[in-house]
Amino acid sequence: MPKHYRPAGKKKEGNAAKYVTRSQAVKLLQVNLSTFRRLCILKGVFPREPKKKVKGNHHTYYHLKDIWFVKHDPLLEKFREMRTYEKKLKKAEAKKNRDLYERLRTRKPSYTLDRLILERYPKFVDALRDLDDCLSMVHLFAALPALERENIEVKRIHHCRKLSHEWQAYIARTHKLRKVFISVKGIYFQAEVEGQKITWLTPHALQQVLPDDVDYSVMLTFLEFYETLLAFTNFKLYHSINVNYPPILDPQLEALAEELYALSRYLDANTRSARASGSDQVEGQENEKQHDESDLRLAQLQHQLPHNEPGALMHLVEDAAGEDEEDEDTKECKNLFKDMKFFLGREVPRESLLFVIPAFGGIVSWEGDGAPFREADQSITHQIVDRPTQGHKFLSREYVQPQWIYDCVNARIILPTEGYLVGRVPPPHLSPFVDNEAEGYVPDYAETVKRLQAAARNEVLPMPGTVKEDLEDPQRLLVEGIIDRAEANEAAEKKRKMATLEKQYHDELKMELEGAQYSSSMINQNIESNTASGEAREEPAPDLQQIAEDSTNMSKLVMPRKKRRLLEAMEIGKKRKQANVDLLKERKKKNEAGQTSKAK
Amino acid sequence: MGIPKIMSCRKRTWSPEKRALLVRVLIRMNLKMGILRTSRHWRSQNLERVTHKSTRYMGSVRTGNKGKSIIDNARIDDGGSEISESDQRAEESDSSEDEVPSRNTIGDVPLQWYRDEEHIGYDVKGKKIKKKERQDKLDAFLASADDSKNWRKINDEYNDEVVELTKDETRLIHRLLKGKAPHAGFDPYPDYVDFFKWDDAKHPLSNAPEPKRRFIPSKWEAKKVAKYARAIREGLIKLDKPKEEPRFYNLWGDDLNSKDRAGHLAYIPAPKPKLPGHEESYNPSLEYIPTQEEINSYQLMYEEDRPKFIPKRFTSLKSVPAYENAVNDSFERCMDLYMSYRAWKKRLNIDPESLKPKLPSRKDLKPYPVTCYLEYRGHEGAVVSISTEATGQWIASGSADGTVRIWEVETGRCRGVWTIGEPVQFVSWNPLSELPILAIAAGQDVLLLNTGLGNAEDQKKIKELLQVEISGTAGDSDEQPLVSWLQDDKHKHEAIRLRHFKTVTSVEWHRKGDYLSTVTPAGESRAILIHQLSKKVTQKIPFKLHGLPVSSVFHPSRSIFFVSTKKNVRVYDLLKQKLIKKLETGLREVSSIAIHPQGDNVIVGSREGKLCWFDMDLSSQPYKTLQCHSKDITNVAFHRSYPLFASCSDDCTAYVFHGMVYSDFNQNPLIVPLEILRGHASSNGRGVMDCKFHPRQPWLFTAGADSVVRLFCH
Repeated sequence: MPKHYRPAGKKKEGNAAKYVTRSQAVKLLQVNLSTFRRLCILKGVFPREPKKKVKGNHHTYYHLKDIWFVKHDPLLEKFREMRTYEKKLKKAEAKKNRDLYERLRTRKPSYTLDRLILERYPKFVDALRDLDDCLSMVHLFAALPALERENIEVKRIHHCRKLSHEWQAYIARTHKLRKVFISVKGIYFQAEVEGQKITWLTPHALQQVLPDDVDYSVMLTFLEFYETLLAFTNFKLYHSINVNYPPILDPQLEALAEELYALSRYLDANTRSARASGSDQVEGQENEKQHDESDLRLAQLQHQLPHNEPGALMHLVEDAAGEDEEDEDTKECKNLFKDMKFFLGREVPRESLLFVIPAFGGIVSWEGDGAPFREADQSITHQIVDRPTQGHKFLSREYVQPQWIYDCVNARIILPTEGYLVGRVPPPHLSPFVDNEAEGYVPDYAETVKRLQAAARNEVLPMPGTVKEDLEDPQRLLVEGIIDRAEANEAAEKKRKMATLEKQYHDELKMELEGAQYSSSMINQNIESNTASGEAREEPAPDLQQIAEDSTNMSKLVMPRKKRRLLEAMEIGKKRKQANVDLLKERKKKNEAGQTSKAK
Repeated sequence: MGIPKIMSCRKRTWSPEKRALLVRVLIRMNLKMGILRTSRHWRSQNLERVTHKSTRYMGSVRTGNKGKSIIDNARIDDGGSEISESDQRAEESDSSEDEVPSRNTIGDVPLQWYRDEEHIGYDVKGKKIKKKERQDKLDAFLASADDSKNWRKINDEYNDEVVELTKDETRLIHRLLKGKAPHAGFDPYPDYVDFFKWDDAKHPLSNAPEPKRRFIPSKWEAKKVAKYARAIREGLIKLDKPKEEPRFYNLWGDDLNSKDRAGHLAYIPAPKPKLPGHEESYNPSLEYIPTQEEINSYQLMYEEDRPKFIPKRFTSLKSVPAYENAVNDSFERCMDLYMSYRAWKKRLNIDPESLKPKLPSRKDLKPYPVTCYLEYRGHEGAVVSISTEATGQWIASGSADGTVRIWEVETGRCRGVWTIGEPVQFVSWNPLSELPILAIAAGQDVLLLNTGLGNAEDQKKIKELLQVEISGTAGDSDEQPLVSWLQDDKHKHEAIRLRHFKTVTSVEWHRKGDYLSTVTPAGESRAILIHQLSKKVTQKIPFKLHGLPVSSVFHPSRSIFFVSTKKNVRVYDLLKQKLIKKLETGLREVSSIAIHPQGDNVIVGSREGKLCWFDMDLSSQPYKTLQCHSKDITNVAFHRSYPLFASCSDDCTAYVFHGMVYSDFNQNPLIVPLEILRGHASSNGRGVMDCKFHPRQPWLFTAGADSVVRLFCH
């Protein structure tokens, strides 16, 4: 049978059979495009690139299996049902059948996404792995204004707010926050949950603008999925620390828009009571039952917890210390701000600090209602101030700018506060996500921080004598390195000499073999050539670059074209990187020059 | 409620205030005197309009036999107008349509709100209206006793004033109290007007008795109700329930019995967004902030090259504004997540060094020419061509200044100079060591020159050979000879001049030293000629050339002849007189060709700087193409005994390669670049013009356009 023959029943083969364009897919599923889009978003179906684009380059291709996957989902049927229901509703309204309309309106069919979540993330770790976008989106919507025109409801905004606070409360409670970075775009946080690094972006707590050129329906579909995902994730996480979910909050604090604080109190109270009851009743179910009964009472109890006494929070820290086995990192994070008390000034952007400081073991209060302690509290060690001058100062505490907190967190040590005092220009805030060595350029402040870190590590060492030595360690190492290199150079020289001698010997041998008639002249020549080669050796010393270039050129010569192109592309990339670094260095030099000239 | 409806056709007699007062008076009278009169009489006027439907209404009439409800239902029928008012709100009224606006503007609010205030309300301009001074009760009583008209005075609380009823009004009240219609002109008993016109009909309507079905409950309705009841019972109709909050539970369970996504395509997680670098900080180091000029220069860039983010510095955290593209960025990400292709791409995290092929160490491939050992200086023009003598003791060089020099290789001594007159194109020694004849191509001539080397015996032989009879216009005895063989006596030694009709570019000797071939590119059918020295005969090759010939070479061991045209190389068998092979170079313009001493491998250099290695046994395509030079390759050469070959180019470099050919057919030739030889200077855009290997030693001679010949030794 010739290869091109296709039996009558058999359809196409290869890419033409495996992949369909988007319009084909829409036709196949018998839905409209917007429903298809929703289905794709909810099911997590994405286009796949065929090796050969049968229908042309300007189409989007989906794998047929993906489309069948969507087709067999009950959600598709549900969407159809909802659509027909909408029609009924519209008809009832148009016919002014008020009763029917009301009845239909209140009984709209709805759907849940929990099954989809389980399908997309069979394991909890999978869900955590994909949580980045989810968190960023939920945090963004928590900061957006509700907009009736675009179907952004107040309820959803509040829900997003709630979810984000719950997440933050968990992270802070379990001290899983690792890195924080304030960028112009917002604040990046990185937490490590179950070994997964989760990074999310929260916008600055300011009025956001809703641009017109954005299709909000797409974003809302994503948000719908993300909300459910985050809620289930929160549930799982809360249960892992024996706390009921959803939490019931102190209405008074909630009214004051201090949900995060309220949540942390809730977590605190709940875990403690859980532990207490856990000792009596081992079974979780009973435990839960008891919780159900005492939920309301708990909320009331929280309210009764002494507001102005930090004891509650101290308890939290102490309890957590003895809680369970934790990895090194968490311990380090937990003890960073241990025994420190912070007070936030009125002008400081509060939300992120209220999250970060407890996450690293500190105690924090703020100016406003519902705060755990007041400004006049004598035990406050640091007051965070974000204004050019501070009027009244307590001598017992330090007044620092908020950046100090973030830099301490990223460096994992308590940095000296001199640079961050009120009224000074703080040192540059560096991204903790950059690998400076790989990037090829290390900013000055990163070096300083590194040195401080090394010093801090050494401080822990028992012997003070060694500390000082170690402090100068890098320099000593450098010197050693130089000595080493010199030695190596010498060795290389020796080797080369040996090689030349050997070579001479070999050449002579060869000449002898070739015949005696040239011997006299050859010896002469040989000597000359040796001297010449010696000269040549001396010569290329400044011309090393040329030699290196030659050698690379020569190896390139024999490469196949594909590999050569690849190598060239790599070189271009390297060059670009280097150019960036050079630009930075040049700018730095210019800045320094400018500063010195100014100083003069 | 409480706002009187006023029909448009109404004849207005009183202002609403007055009406309100009137009602109040009535109330007071009723209550005081305990006169409870039903309004049945008034209502009887309206009964005609009351239909069956209004049983409720009737009911209210029936039950309305108590003080307030009477007033509630009080209707003042005024020529078809109805006025209904409640007792509470009756005092206040809407003054919008009145001629006499009321003083007070507080509107329809309970007056007790103002009981303890200093004022009773506000006038139109918004000023407070002060309460009047309250009279002492005694004074009031005395005043009322004194005043004869006191009985018709009423206190209006709303406006805080005393109103005196007119005679008409009192009369009206009296009529009302008597239970009559308030207006004297009202006729309570008008003539009956039948609703039906009895034209000729006997009966107004069917007088059939009321059907029974009107008196029994509807069966269909009962059925319908039963259906609904059943539906509710079965749960088909759900009654209102409180909206359910989404329930959350431990979705993943213990994670132990969870299975992977089976039966689907592999899920490809979306790549995570790029993490921010130092430059995105709100307070980056100063070196990350571009200067104003740099920012301006971004405008000149292409849209896609332009940096999307310009670092900026803020002095304090609170001064950082909201990021204007937050929503846009998030949206972009969403679009990427569901619109863009996902595929596993292997991230090339390879060391660039590993890409380079494993070549044998250059040390192991020694000896090969490495450094410049000698320079042969003396020419005044570019040295175009060089040739080494078969013994390797002498080297001849031809220059564009019209001279040919012979040098001793080892010392660099110039043995002799011949002035040809024309720029020399090519020099070539006879491959036989006992016949040191030099073929020189200059202009249209090829000069076969006795160089005067060798011992006396050889010289004798050469002199014999280089004698041409006068009738030596051999070759074709036809109309025009291909080449004229002439004796040349200008030089101190014997020489033969072969005069061609066009410029000769290259001369190649056969290995036996008797034949030589010349190439005249413009010669068309006579482009390539083969001369026989011993017989002084010239013949043209019996093949058609496709394209301009560039050079020609004899096979080192067999009677095979290579002719390279600009595009490809043709291989002819001279004995069988036919084409054996055509080598497709794929090059733009071939400039030179060299043959491996074993004869199975050919290298071809081209004007675009590419060097092709052909393995003739393998295929007619190049086995390997090396892009080594940046400019034209001028010549390529094989070493006669060492596995070396070289190429020289106008970029002033010469490359030396190791080219090992194995006798085993399964093993491909090994090509290793060894050395780049530099030293020549460029002049007029030309660099190295020619390169030749020493016949015995691994030495390379290069001829430069800078009029120097160099010897590179190992």
